[in-house]
Amino acid sequence: MGRESIIRAAREIYDDLDFQRVRDWLSQKPGTKAVGYLPVYAPRELIHACGLLPVGIHGGGDRVEIIKGDAFYQSYICHLPRSVVELGQSGRLDMLSGMLFPSTCDVIRNLSGMWKMLYPDQYVRYIDVPQIATPEIAIPFWEGELRHLLNDLAKLSGHHPSEDELRASLGLYNEVRAALRELYELRRTRPWDVPTEELYLLMRAGESIPPEDFLAMIQSYFRAIDDEPNRPRDNSRVIVVGSFCEQPPLGLIKTIERAGCYVVDDDFLIGNRFLTEDVELSGDPLSCLAESFVRDAVATSVIYEADPHGKRSEIKDKVDAAGADGVIFAAASFCDPALLDRPMLRTGAEAHDIPCIAFKFSENSGQFQQFREQAGTFSDSIKLWGGA
Amino acid sequence: MCITAGIDVGSGAVKCVVMKCPENGAPELMAAHSSRIRRREVANVVDEAWTAAVSAAGVDEVAYVATTGEGEDIPFATGHFYGMTTHARGALHLDPSARAVLDVGALHSRAVAMDEHGKVLGYKMTSQCASGSGQFLENIARYLGVSQSEVGSLSLAATDPENVSSICAVLAETDVINMVSRGINTPDILRGIHESMAGRFARLLRSLDVRGTVFVSGGLASDVGLMAALEDSLAKSARGGAVPTVATHDQAIHAGAIGAAIWGAFRYRKLGKGEAAWKSTMEV
Repeated sequence: MGRESIIRAAREIYDDLDFQRVRDWLSQKPGTKAVGYLPVYAPRELIHACGLLPVGIHGGGDRVEIIKGDAFYQSYICHLPRSVVELGQSGRLDMLSGMLFPSTCDVIRNLSGMWKMLYPDQYVRYIDVPQIATPEIAIPFWEGELRHLLNDLAKLSGHHPSEDELRASLGLYNEVRAALRELYELRRTRPWDVPTEELYLLMRAGESIPPEDFLAMIQSYFRAIDDEPNRPRDNSRVIVVGSFCEQPPLGLIKTIERAGCYVVDDDFLIGNRFLTEDVELSGDPLSCLAESFVRDAVATSVIYEADPHGKRSEIKDKVDAAGADGVIFAAASFCDPALLDRPMLRTGAEAHDIPCIAFKFSENSGQFQQFREQAGTFSDSIKLWGGA
Repeated sequence: MCITAGIDVGSGAVKCVVMKCPENGAPELMAAHSSRIRRREVANVVDEAWTAAVSAAGVDEVAYVATTGEGEDIPFATGHFYGMTTHARGALHLDPSARAVLDVGALHSRAVAMDEHGKVLGYKMTSQCASGSGQFLENIARYLGVSQSEVGSLSLAATDPENVSSICAVLAETDVINMVSRGINTPDILRGIHESMAGRFARLLRSLDVRGTVFVSGGLASDVGLMAALEDSLAKSARGGAVPTVATHDQAIHAGAIGAAIWGAFRYRKLGKGEAAWKSTMEV
């Protein structure tokens, strides 16, 4: 399978707001169910172990006109929840038997309450991820939450997984994360061979198909990269920070790259890479998963940072690790976690003379000229007047 | 010494230059070619301009192919630079005293302030309205039945210029139709159009607090009527202060491509010969 056909297949899944692939999976496996989850982190391993299909739910981007969704949220709330409500109210999510709402922010938490009232027949759970720096307290708490969730999901599916089945799911998701780490590393070293637009489409597709299929898709993509290498260009190298929840429109990602910036690290769809190390498979599965979350979670705005200097050094660490020349802070409008962190992160970056620009987007942004100007001039300033 | 190329893809034409860029000393233009797009596939027009420029330069290897304007997707490019960066550098090459560029393109016009190194200090663009653009003037010339090359000299012959809307191209075009039916002569209409456009440009430049020489680039730089109107507008808007000098050059239409080629040479040296992976595919 060539690069173009892999990306075309991924794009079809990304574009399909009726989730036909999920519906097909359900019809091929009578009696099975699918469970949706919102950004940022949900323990997909547990959904998978129960024989359910985990489905990442983002908004409808610029392809859905918000009519009903606006009635649920004030104008100063980000676009994602109103778009998710619109998807739900238009029947596009009626194939889901459950929805998980991680504790990303107050808006997502409130959406979980609305969902319970709107869809009383659906399993709905607010996932209270730990925000405690002390592992001795955080791990048992999170393990308890995971156990509660597992029991609920087992009831929903009618199948309570054995420890071996749980371990198999943990191992499978370890493989998925390892493949993504490899893909990100390849993009870091050869960004021309792994355009971020393609990487992003793969990850979005991966959130609507079984992890086994996603793994196969990534492996095909690796082969395609070797078979069809791209031509390198003299671009600047940037990291994009702040797009961990509401996702930027694909056009924005493409605009940044076309303007002369290689994205060499980002936090798009960060839930796919939330655990930075493999989950240990030798002990109690839930205990291992809980420990991994507490010890190996990626540094991001939705997780409490205990170190008072942590936010100041975070960008420098990321820029150094990626070998980047600069930072693009790209957050969704009204995204509290991203926009409250931004001044701290930016101050930390500027203290190390790291060039930065910042802008806000909405998942349905349709005009990219201003982003093109900003990214283009930023890239020029790095290449001509900066250290690149 | 290295040989670089610049390709400026505009909305009306593709401009391509090949330059000799010595390590020390001024870059030298080896060849320049401009091809109008005229509803053709842009990729084909790029190929045409590229082939013509490279063949005129007589080179068989180019160290760095730099694109600018809408040229991001040209597959054989080494790197891309944003339009204002390249126009600033190209203007500085064509007139070292330039401290601002007024780029009058087919669809947009923009003013760029810069320092003596070509570093952009600020810029302003005409907004969505096309009344400050080459396409607008081309439409007016067509309505009046005059060729593009006649527009400048006819405008200079005006004795009683008419006022034309400077807000909107549609209103301005309506004004022109009314003027024709009222029997206003062509030179006065054209001068009115030039004054309307020049007024917009003077406001753009004034908002950037431009001092010194303003270099006019883009396709309309060769329009002597527009240049004269711009000088008048800048003098009027100076209100007793220093009046910026207006300058241009025979190669002003290629300023963006020239700037791209010069920045390409800069990057070629900065990255280090033989080190960067992108260099391996630079054969013409």
